[in-house]
Amino acid sequence: MGKWFRRQKGGQSNKDKNEPTFSELLEKCKESKDFISFRQGKSFSFYISYYKTLVNPDFIHRDLLSPITKHPIQSLDELKNLIPVENVTITDDVKDIQDKLLSGFILVHENETSARCALIPAIAVEKRQVTIPETEFSVVGPKESFVEAIDVNINMVRKRLPLPELYAKEILVGKLSKTRVVVMYIQGIANEDNISTVLQRIKDIEFDQIIDSSFITQLMSDNHNSPFPQLIDTERPDRTASVLSEGKIAIFVDGSPQVLTGPTTLPEFFSAFEDYFTTWHIASFFRLLRLFSVMFSVLSSPIYVAVLTYHYQMIPKDLLSPLIASRSGIPFPPIMEAIILELTIELLREAGARLPTKVGQTIGIVGGIVIGTAAVEAGLTSNVLLIIVALAALASFTTPVYQMSNTIRIIRFPFLLAAQFWGIVGVSMCFGFFLSHLLKLTSLGRPYVGPVYPLRLKDLKDSLYRLPFEKLSRRPMQLLPEDPIRFNKTRAEKKQDIDE
Amino acid sequence: MLPLPRENQKVSPYFVFYLIHSTQIGVSILGFERYIAKDAGYDAWISIIISGVSINMLIWIIYQILNKGKNDLAAIHMDLFGKTVGRLMNLYFVVYFTLFAITILRTYLEVIQVWVFPQLNLWTFTPVFLLLMYSFIVGGFRVVTGLSFLSVIYGLPLILLFWFPLQQADFSNVFLKIDHNLTELLKGSKTMSLGFLGFEPLFLFYPFIKNAETSQKWAHFGVIFSILLYLTTALVTFFYFSKEQLTHTIWATLTLWKIVDLPFIERFEYVGIAIWVFVVIPNLCLTVWSAGRLLKQSFSIRQRTSLWITLTILYVLTPIFKNRQQIDLLNVGVGRLGYYTIYFYIPLLFVIQWMIYRVRKNQ
Repeated sequence: MGKWFRRQKGGQSNKDKNEPTFSELLEKCKESKDFISFRQGKSFSFYISYYKTLVNPDFIHRDLLSPITKHPIQSLDELKNLIPVENVTITDDVKDIQDKLLSGFILVHENETSARCALIPAIAVEKRQVTIPETEFSVVGPKESFVEAIDVNINMVRKRLPLPELYAKEILVGKLSKTRVVVMYIQGIANEDNISTVLQRIKDIEFDQIIDSSFITQLMSDNHNSPFPQLIDTERPDRTASVLSEGKIAIFVDGSPQVLTGPTTLPEFFSAFEDYFTTWHIASFFRLLRLFSVMFSVLSSPIYVAVLTYHYQMIPKDLLSPLIASRSGIPFPPIMEAIILELTIELLREAGARLPTKVGQTIGIVGGIVIGTAAVEAGLTSNVLLIIVALAALASFTTPVYQMSNTIRIIRFPFLLAAQFWGIVGVSMCFGFFLSHLLKLTSLGRPYVGPVYPLRLKDLKDSLYRLPFEKLSRRPMQLLPEDPIRFNKTRAEKKQDIDE
Repeated sequence: MLPLPRENQKVSPYFVFYLIHSTQIGVSILGFERYIAKDAGYDAWISIIISGVSINMLIWIIYQILNKGKNDLAAIHMDLFGKTVGRLMNLYFVVYFTLFAITILRTYLEVIQVWVFPQLNLWTFTPVFLLLMYSFIVGGFRVVTGLSFLSVIYGLPLILLFWFPLQQADFSNVFLKIDHNLTELLKGSKTMSLGFLGFEPLFLFYPFIKNAETSQKWAHFGVIFSILLYLTTALVTFFYFSKEQLTHTIWATLTLWKIVDLPFIERFEYVGIAIWVFVVIPNLCLTVWSAGRLLKQSFSIRQRTSLWITLTILYVLTPIFKNRQQIDLLNVGVGRLGYYTIYFYIPLLFVIQWMIYRVRKNQ
């Protein structure tokens, strides 16, 4: 105990040694060209220091310099009362001064040696206009999307949930970047364990620079080696507000236009937020369509390879002749053909994603039409496979969450190899490997394949399909919410009798 | 007393339904019709019911043993017989489970060899299969339960395929004339009991069930569902095949899939065999998990280690059985072993436990 205590104490004194004194801090700051420090005042003179690139110049002239030239002040306390801004603090903690100076505060101090000074917030925020969501576009419904400024993002969510229970806990992450990460949840709805898991994992993050929310996902997810994303990132404030009210937790990262939400389950990655803006039949149909398209996208070309390599007996008689006609004269075995085409599609997608939008469209036309037709005409690939691969690529783009659609496109390659080795049995076994992985996977400690396993029949109502709103009276039990009731079910379901 | 599993490793009682059912439906359902028809002819459907009822009684006995013992088989053995003899009994069950797993694996691989890949190299294919098992078992009992749950769901649509043979069925000679005597029917039900084997892991996963006593009804439902499935399969087979044909058909159920006629696919049995991976895998996983669990409980080694030991034995022994005769021998041998284990040892254990508990109570 004593030894442990001593070590702790030693560590602390070491830290003290590293901490610069006030004059050292000023010396360091003055090395930068954009740091400004000048003397002001007649009877009571003081220094004003700030980074001119971080502060709002209008503010200095209007709210700081003009009052103090009009009313000469005698002390920092007087200054504090004089200036019409909130949050003016007087401190002598050098660490605090450094942090605030670097986030856009103005420093007013009496001389260059004593640390006692006033800190006046004058943060200049450069922010982009709130625009239309691009990756999660919806035809109907709100058209706001998050921007890089975290306060604007939080504002957009708070507007939708005017509750004092909507808590926002802030943690600074990143040794160099000191990024503001805000964890938001509704107290009394979100599960306490989930909240403490999220807060603890964010506190445990050891990294120097957090640029985007995707860094946080990768650093705090349950299984770092999984190709499957374990948190959903969204750019829609409406989606964020909606999942918060379900009992999930949202993580805002300063500088990132994407907000992370969790805990999540696999079916949620295939539900677009637009599903809630259409009637439930249509929404359910589209959800099932998306699930089907995922299966199709992953399995179609492996099954083509398996059938044409080993099980040609499976092809019905009438289908056999067009297949043979398209395959005849092609110099490659099915697996080569499939891999070449799949890689071509990936190439086109990647080229399209890297180029500016207008050039990207050209690439799509050139690639899709010219290369595809040319490859078939040159006899390098069969047009049946071309159709299958193109459809599979199309199907993979129906996945509403971008990170997931990437995963879907990548995981078909192991299936292709398995199909080449052991045909359709290989495809089945490869599926088994993915199943075992998914069964083991958790999102913030909650099972990833829920509500299918562990089976929660009540949660199925808004996962693989969506039932009408009056049926959604309970929050997903998968999340173990503190308060599972969303609204009074009997009142919502009360129907008028005939002729009343 | 050995420690019980933690609360967060347990599963809900109703999963016992899927666990029991998925262990009973395996490779045997693909070709059991010929064997029972050999003993009891077309009246073998009665044998299925007799055998199913007896299995339900065994489930009842097992629950009596476990409810009293309040732990798994390994702990009960060591409690009743002392450490040394208890360990030997556990070892017997390890061997039994391992042999059982070898039988399932080898028979399924034979199906693949006969129907899909005659040239399949077992020395390279088996390890991939074992690795697949490993990746499930390493996730713990919850993952294995999830697998058996999903496998029941995947397997169920295959029942719809009976529609195709039923269109050409001959219903006349199954129900009306019962021309076999009781001995023949009982002989048939003895053969049938091999199909129901595989529920023994219940002895090991019992402590992993929440409120395990309440799960008994689900175990019975699981067995009843298996009976129904076997019964349906047998009846459809009997309706479709003539007696003469059936004696020559080793994989009668698979042959039924062969006549499935869909516009976009021929030779449906390929698809069926591929889907059957998911029916066989939970069966194997539970058996191997049980063997590993027994080793862990009785010799206090890590289950990861015992799992590797079991899988290595499986890898070495499975490809040894080369042709139909040897595999048949393996099936018959392990079937007989299982028959004596469940019908003699389990009631015996029940009696012994009853006596020992009585003696202890009096002391």
